[in-house]
Amino acid sequence: MKKRWFGYGAWLLLAACLYFFENNTGTRVVLLCSLLLPMVPVLRTAFFSPDEPEKDETRESLTVRTFDAQEPEDSGDVRRYVPGDSVRRIHWKLSAKKDELLVRETAAGEAVCGQEKNVTRVDAGRKRKVSRQLAAAFAAGILLCALLLLLIPEARHSMQGLLNRVFSASEAVNSYVYSWFAVPENQSVLPAAILLLCACMLLLGITLVLGSRLTALGIMAVCVLFQVYFGLAFPSWVNILLGILFAGWNLRRPVRRKELAAFGAFILLVTLMTVIFLPDVNADTEAASEKVRDRLTQMAEQITGTVPESPAGETETRHIHTRSLENGDREAETEQEFRLVTVEEEQISMPHWINWVKMILLLLLSVLVVALPFTPFLLLNARKKKARENRKAFVSENVSEGIRAIFGQIVVWLETVHPGAENLLFRDRAGVLPEDLPEGYAERFARCAADFEEATYSLHPMPEEKRRNAMELLKETETALWNHSNRRQRFYLKYWMCLHE
Amino acid sequence: MREQLENVIAEVEKVIAGKRKVIEKILTALLAEGHILLDDLPGVGKTTLAVALSRTVGLSFRRVQFTPDVLPSDLMGFSVYNRESGTFVYQPGALIGTNLLLGDEINRASSKTQSALLEAMEERQVTVDGQTCSLASPFLVIATENSVGTAGTQFLPYAQMDRFLVRLSLGYPDYEAQMKMLRDRRERNPMDEVCCVLTREELQELQREVRSVTVKDAILDYVTRLTMASREHEAVEVGISPRGALFMVRMAKAKAFLEGRDYVTGGDVQTVFGDVCAHRVLLKESAEETSVGRVLDELLKKTENPDRHGLFAGMKK
Repeated sequence: MKKRWFGYGAWLLLAACLYFFENNTGTRVVLLCSLLLPMVPVLRTAFFSPDEPEKDETRESLTVRTFDAQEPEDSGDVRRYVPGDSVRRIHWKLSAKKDELLVRETAAGEAVCGQEKNVTRVDAGRKRKVSRQLAAAFAAGILLCALLLLLIPEARHSMQGLLNRVFSASEAVNSYVYSWFAVPENQSVLPAAILLLCACMLLLGITLVLGSRLTALGIMAVCVLFQVYFGLAFPSWVNILLGILFAGWNLRRPVRRKELAAFGAFILLVTLMTVIFLPDVNADTEAASEKVRDRLTQMAEQITGTVPESPAGETETRHIHTRSLENGDREAETEQEFRLVTVEEEQISMPHWINWVKMILLLLLSVLVVALPFTPFLLLNARKKKARENRKAFVSENVSEGIRAIFGQIVVWLETVHPGAENLLFRDRAGVLPEDLPEGYAERFARCAADFEEATYSLHPMPEEKRRNAMELLKETETALWNHSNRRQRFYLKYWMCLHE
Repeated sequence: MREQLENVIAEVEKVIAGKRKVIEKILTALLAEGHILLDDLPGVGKTTLAVALSRTVGLSFRRVQFTPDVLPSDLMGFSVYNRESGTFVYQPGALIGTNLLLGDEINRASSKTQSALLEAMEERQVTVDGQTCSLASPFLVIATENSVGTAGTQFLPYAQMDRFLVRLSLGYPDYEAQMKMLRDRRERNPMDEVCCVLTREELQELQREVRSVTVKDAILDYVTRLTMASREHEAVEVGISPRGALFMVRMAKAKAFLEGRDYVTGGDVQTVFGDVCAHRVLLKESAEETSVGRVLDELLKKTENPDRHGLFAGMKK
């Protein structure tokens, strides 16, 4: 849980920026971000990971060691590492404790050397199938619910009531298509809430079934347009809350079913809270939305040439209309008059052009703003990927690479917690170690540094034992230095270097 | 370290006490097949050291005392007209058939004599009257140069400086070493006790082994970066030449071999950097407040060492 604070902080800042953006444009970008953010990992799990073996990385927690002494739950099903086993199967916690590499044994005994790759692919395929089935089940269930709700009149009325409350803050209720929502307000909103939940699930289901990044993007775009136009009565602060919550989720890449369910429940909760307790907040953003609406209507009218409703626009257009008619009738008019007409037409049509540009800019901006919240996660994920590659080197066939990777981490630890020995050779580093390290540390460090040099600069085959030495030293270093490090250093080690969990 | 090399050092130490480090460096240069320039005060044992080394290693030794009237022909040989046979007969000079040439006070020689050494030092051959003849193998020049009493001397041309693998200085012995030296020489000359512990063939075998020491690309990369940095340094007029880089690698190999390793580490390069490069770097005239040593230290400090370089590629910015 602690791990997510970073995500929360980053999101809080972003959300604050977005709040102003929302207030000024009348869009609901933050809401959309918060709605769609969790779908990215869902999509990835369902559709983009069959060949990506690092899919379940978090579950196999790549830490080299743990500080608590708790016994791993499935310690019975492990066996020793044999070259050819997948790195993914290594039980890191237990390996660190027992000082030898242990792998998880699956129930079916699938971890046969050499066939690892195929097995992984089959697993992934099955998971994908499962998630598709899950999605289909979702969709079917929702359709059933919807059907039932529509067949029961009370439920339908309550749904209408709920929608009425949702839109009551918006002027759109009165002026556009919502006049049929006018039903008594003392209806129960529970069935409608269930329907709303179903709708959320349906959205998820659609994304899962049809899912591709393009589809997700399309849904996102439709949602943006819908929100800009109708201005749903979700206050900004709820959006912000949502964003903060999902930021925490997004630090853990593969989304599990439990999380999915929690996500759905949360949407429901927030929706209910908003609808019941805050039917008409955020009036100013509503007004902004209305402005956008008006502008759009105006533009549409100008483009299609239909008669606008506003009296000022009416006279103007009529004026042009008659003028152009006259123009068409009397082609032999003087050149001067013709020029006059053209100028007038230009004056009227100029706002079109500007509005289109504005609209495109607004859309671009929306896309940018939607993309913005993803950047910290993308950055962090890139770091984590690199760290994973580094860790993979620990147990690759090449022991030299392993020693290099491990010793490199030892030095990073040392230099983060006790900086100041810039650009020293690692061998010389043994001479300037801090004093508060355990007894005999310097000798062990020097020995490992010599191993490191041999691994790096010679062509000698390195014995496995030396890698074990280095691993021990790394553990020792982590234990000793973690207690000496301050918050900033811990932050750096954990999140930027991805060295510790 | 190999027993053979240990023995060599022990033998040489019989005559030069307390200078183990310099002896090691000279031995390293010997293994790296490079020429040595000893730059020091008179009377600290430069010649003694060279003589002892030649005796220990079983090399044929010759000494040339350079003065302004030593001529190229003295070194390379010349052809004399033989009246009886009516042909020119080649009279070999000091360089021919010598393994270890001690050029004393090389900076007193005229520039043409110094130039005569250029081909001999680099190509290990001399050309006289259009006839090229190769020198004995191994061929090694130990030249000395006095840093005081510079009247009547001239600076070695840069091209020749560059041909020396290392420039070393012995320095005064400390109290203990000097007492030992005086005591040893009360009745006898310790030089007589120095015996040959390494034959010429064995030395050549060792040199071959040095050539096969592993140098990974990471080290070459480090050497190149150091060299480049020296050329770009603001106080430097002439930086380290490509030959300097080549010599640095060679010397590092020998250094690694001397320490009993068959691979070169970044530490080896750092150790030999000063000795190999100090005489190759010319400072700008405007850079008065700094010295070559300081510039080289700065370069070492500034250039990311190979242990570090690339290892954090996935971890640091």
